Amino acid sequence: MSMLTVSNLSRYFGGLAAVVDMSFTVEKGEIVGLIGPNGAGKTTVFNMLSGFIPPTSGEIIYQGRRMNGLKPHQICELGVTRTFQVVQPFPDMTVLENTMIGAYVRHPNTTDAKRKALETLERVDLDAKADKLGRDLTLLELKRLEIGKALASEPDLLLLDEAAAGLKDTEIEDILTLIRQLNREGMTLLIVEHLMKVIMNLSHRIIVLDFGKMIAEGTPQEISQHPAVLEAYLGKDE
Amino acid sequence: MKTVWTQKGFLIPAGALLIAILLPIFASEYALHIAVLVLLYAYLSTAWNVLGGYAGQHSLGHSLFLGIGAYTSTFLFTKIGLTPWVGMWIGALLAGLVGWFVGYLCFRYGLKGPYFALVTIAIAEAMVSLTNNINFIGGAMGLEVKWLGNSPLLMQFESKAGYYYIALVMLVIALWLVYWLSRQRFGYHLIAVRENEDAAEALGVDTLRVKIQASILSAFLTALGGTFFAQYFTYINPRNVFGEGPSIQILLFAIVGGLGTVWGPAVGALVLVPIAELARGWLGGSFAGAHLLLYGTVMVLVMLFMPKGIIGLYESIRQRLKRGSSAPEEERTPA
Repeated sequence: MSMLTVSNLSRYFGGLAAVVDMSFTVEKGEIVGLIGPNGAGKTTVFNMLSGFIPPTSGEIIYQGRRMNGLKPHQICELGVTRTFQVVQPFPDMTVLENTMIGAYVRHPNTTDAKRKALETLERVDLDAKADKLGRDLTLLELKRLEIGKALASEPDLLLLDEAAAGLKDTEIEDILTLIRQLNREGMTLLIVEHLMKVIMNLSHRIIVLDFGKMIAEGTPQEISQHPAVLEAYLGKDE
Repeated sequence: MKTVWTQKGFLIPAGALLIAILLPIFASEYALHIAVLVLLYAYLSTAWNVLGGYAGQHSLGHSLFLGIGAYTSTFLFTKIGLTPWVGMWIGALLAGLVGWFVGYLCFRYGLKGPYFALVTIAIAEAMVSLTNNINFIGGAMGLEVKWLGNSPLLMQFESKAGYYYIALVMLVIALWLVYWLSRQRFGYHLIAVRENEDAAEALGVDTLRVKIQASILSAFLTALGGTFFAQYFTYINPRNVFGEGPSIQILLFAIVGGLGTVWGPAVGALVLVPIAELARGWLGGSFAGAHLLLYGTVMVLVMLFMPKGIIGLYESIRQRLKRGSSAPEEERTPA
């Protein structure tokens, strides 16, 4: 059985079809990339998977459990944690406290949560900034914190929304290394990314969305030569 | 192991507590009256701070809970002779129930910021009208706490010192509770909800439950203060307990002292209550309303120059001093 099974998932905003009849699976231990031009519906898919918006129709099954109708915090408790494309720190809390909120999911005791949070901060290279306030961080630090908060909740499936957007090449390299390492340790990841280099590099499998519809699915090689994908990104050859 | 009491941060509170314990020995009755008001408002503001400061849900109708506490214990005392010491807990439980109801009603439907504030005002105002028209609790005439002589068992005292110590104990317990909570998961969850609700929810925080729990706790504590309010002033009516007056005062102290901090509300009350009382004493007779003008001026100045309250100002000065003294050390460490 797949870890995550999405079947016939659709979401309409009024008359606008943001996601239409999407079906895919994520297997345990995989890194699956979700790509598509701007406005293709990637973030809408994430919002549905994480419980922030309910699907109009279709079903989301995680580890044999139906997730439709669950709230984000329940989905997080089940082991699926998301990050946000636009970073969402707690500005008036320190980096350590920010991360503790994630750690509290598995460690209700403050001492344990603090230990877990510090461990996590080392992984995302923010341990030196533990006492800084969320509001005082640079974009790179905020991007790392966004991942750190989610990691601290010890998810089995991590949903990363544009973790590398806006970063420099060397910084992106760091995040790639971290993601690969997490995956080697057994974490399953579904990632949305604009940067082709990142997604082609990391993903075992790629799903391509365009105007809310799944137009292709396959390995990075297959996707890079897929006619529908080339058309969606580069336009139709007249 | 270092206990909290040996930490430097506790020197000031411990010193303040010692002075507070000894105060009735040398204070006049009038000074003691002001001190009781300081303690009462510090307590009420601390209770408000749980929901308003920590969870960031600015209730402008906390008089609702003050009134429930005051009316419940006073009603039970005057009608069936139940001591306020018992009545206060019944009132608090009732207020907790109402706190749950109001919280559920508002937060379930995602009311935030000004919308939540408006609803709390409306409910408190509705209670004014309601109690005005219920005759068996005195209607607009209100209820009087009958004086039965010096009787600690009925929370009645000849001297102000008795009330003073009750208020002091209530405040110390409330401060300790908030301090303790602020270091628990619940406390961090409250702040996370205030700072970024979506992020909190994504990280497993049941934001609806956390906000409702904060509402219940805040209401419960406020109602206990309501009973004390009634016992101390010995008279309550719909307007003076359910009205907008106490609601606004309660939150002003927290705002001026520092929202979402353990000591903020108490410090705010300590600074503002004496100013208000003394100004009324000096100016109230000659220029009616002038004391409010003075009070308002102080408020505006605080808002302008200390947007994060007195505690916020204190923290930023401390940070600057700390940075100033540790800067050379930082330079020595290689980058």
